[in-house]
Amino acid sequence: MTVSPVASGVDEQQQPRRLQRSVLTFRDALGLGVVGLRGRRGRALLTSVGIAIGIAAIVAVIGISASSKANVLAVLDQLGTNYLTVTPGQSLAGDDTPQLPPDSVGRLSLLDHVQSVAATAHLDVIVRRSDQMPPTNTRGTVVLAAEPDLLTTLNGHLRSGHWLAAGPRSYPTVVIGATAARRQGVDLAAGDQLLWIGDQWFAVVGVLDAMPLAPELDNAALISTEVATQKFGYQGSPTTVYLRASPADMDGVRDVAAATADPTSPQEVDVTRPSDALEARAATDTAFTTLLLGLGGVALLVGGVGIANVMVISVLERRNEIGVRRALGATRRHIRTQFLVEALVQAALGGVAGVALGTAITVGYGLSMDWPIEVPFAGLAGGVLAALVVGGLAGLYPASRAARLEPAQAVRPI
Amino acid sequence: MTRPVLELVDVVRQYPGSPPVRALDRVNLTVLTGEWVAVIGPSGSGKSTLLNLMGALDQPTSGTVRIDGYDVAGLDDERLSALRGHSLGFVFQSFHLLASLTAWENVATALVYRGVPAAERRDRAAAAMTRVGLGHRIGHRPAQLSGGECQRVAIARALVGEPALVLADEPTGNLDTRTGEEIMGLFRELNGDGTTLVLITHDPAIAASAPRRVRIRDGRIVASELDGVTG
Ligand SMILES: Nc1ncnc2c1ncn2[C@@H]1O[C@H](COP(=O)(O)OP(=O)(O)OP(=O)(O)O)[C@@H](O)[C@H]1O
Ligand SMILES: [Mg+2]
Repeated sequence: MTVSPVASGVDEQQQPRRLQRSVLTFRDALGLGVVGLRGRRGRALLTSVGIAIGIAAIVAVIGISASSKANVLAVLDQLGTNYLTVTPGQSLAGDDTPQLPPDSVGRLSLLDHVQSVAATAHLDVIVRRSDQMPPTNTRGTVVLAAEPDLLTTLNGHLRSGHWLAAGPRSYPTVVIGATAARRQGVDLAAGDQLLWIGDQWFAVVGVLDAMPLAPELDNAALISTEVATQKFGYQGSPTTVYLRASPADMDGVRDVAAATADPTSPQEVDVTRPSDALEARAATDTAFTTLLLGLGGVALLVGGVGIANVMVISVLERRNEIGVRRALGATRRHIRTQFLVEALVQAALGGVAGVALGTAITVGYGLSMDWPIEVPFAGLAGGVLAALVVGGLAGLYPASRAARLEPAQAVRPI
Repeated sequence: MTRPVLELVDVVRQYPGSPPVRALDRVNLTVLTGEWVAVIGPSGSGKSTLLNLMGALDQPTSGTVRIDGYDVAGLDDERLSALRGHSLGFVFQSFHLLASLTAWENVATALVYRGVPAAERRDRAAAAMTRVGLGHRIGHRPAQLSGGECQRVAIARALVGEPALVLADEPTGNLDTRTGEEIMGLFRELNGDGTTLVLITHDPAIAASAPRRVRIRDGRIVASELDGVTG
């Protein structure tokens, strides 16, 4: 624009009074955003749906995985975290497999604060549903020699039947784990059940419940150490020692367990706390969770693009409104604010709906899984915040287009 | 009544293009407080261009536009907007009411950017509606009003801020003759109450209502007539 000499010479002192600035209060801006959507309710709702789906997916994924973790922790709480598992580790020399000495159980049980100790030993025999089956068909079941205290030490439960009775028996008995029972098709309610172990029949007297802290027992057929010694030449070297200690002294017991189990080569003994592994597994986000979160993010993005798209159209349609507002004193900044607020209000609607939907999904899924329901507040707040950020970004371009319109162009009848 | 509300000095407005269109060519015009001026000219003569410049909606290519004492060339967007909001009222040919707002909300919008509190906006909007004879229609939406009523709402919106100057571009263009005359009667009344008016029209009958008439053709003022008769 060319500025004439007259124009450049004129300034403040020639002007009769100071101009008051145009204003747009926060409340009025918010009101404009809401009123702007009032005229196109259906469109605003549809536009918000994209955001709502994205936020719902994200909130549900966060809520469900939090509930799942809460469930694991609650289960652990119930099972107890005061267990240690002692197993032979790697041989330092690397030649033969290390073994725990037969007297390790006795020594471990003498430690201070240790409440109960029991061992199992892996037996090199094959179990089958019947002698007619080929020896390869073990259905994944392994045979373990179990000490009488095993069940009480692990605080385990029998689903049906009873535990291996102490003392010599006239005929051999076996107790099997939950998974093994399912795979072998053993059901005590259906009458006497037999398994072919080594080269003779065993009577199944009990079926265990699942043992989350000793999952290796779920796949096992357990026979008593006496029977193992008599029939399969068991030498007394345990492969796993289960140890229960008082919860307050776990660290102390853990520190000395290896040296107590095998004083001559403590480096070849592994001591683990099974609850740690469960906890760690619960804490890691699975690939599936990540995938769902990613999908939620994509939905959110698409929702944002939807808002931007609808707002650009809205700016074109409302050119006259923009012109009128400019004529009534609105600055470019006020116009930009108005359209930005409109985008934010739409996104916030979607965000709130999404958070509600995501919470409902979390609660519904948690109830159906019988989990403790955990809806993380940070996740909800984050959901609304994410929606607002997306809305703000989506509104930026249409809002600045609206602000850039020249007033004289904007007031021309469409 | 001698203070100039509007001064145009050697105003040129040229639209870029090939060839460029010189919509206004060295226009000189002064409007004093309390005056009622009709700008009349055929289609394409530059009337709307002139109104945009008078309303600080547009800037001249050269020359000076002074509104209520302010040279628009020296003002940034903030101040131009403030000048429009505080000193000017606009009435457009196609009303330009906001469809999602009620009549009184449309009127009150003129006070939003002046920072008038919401309660006071409502009262003043209602008063302006009464002044244009629509006190019984304040809660209606534009879609529920006739064309004449819509134009009255638009006039109330232009008046509610008590501007130094009201600019109207073909305010009766979309109305039938009778309704147009009613609207002209309303303008006459408002001018009688002291409102300064510039009214743009291509209709000589409408222009005849104004005590002062400026004729424009091809972007130039070709005649300026003043009669002593009002009404
Ligand atoms: N934005 C623009 N760009 C280019 N040329 C324009 C623009 N606006 C108006 N013109 C041209 O400027 C001239 C004056 O236009 P203007 O709209 O001011 O006329 P008018 O007197 O209001 O006409 P009408 O009575 O039809 O509304 C016309 O030739 C028009 O084509
Ligand atoms: Mg025109």
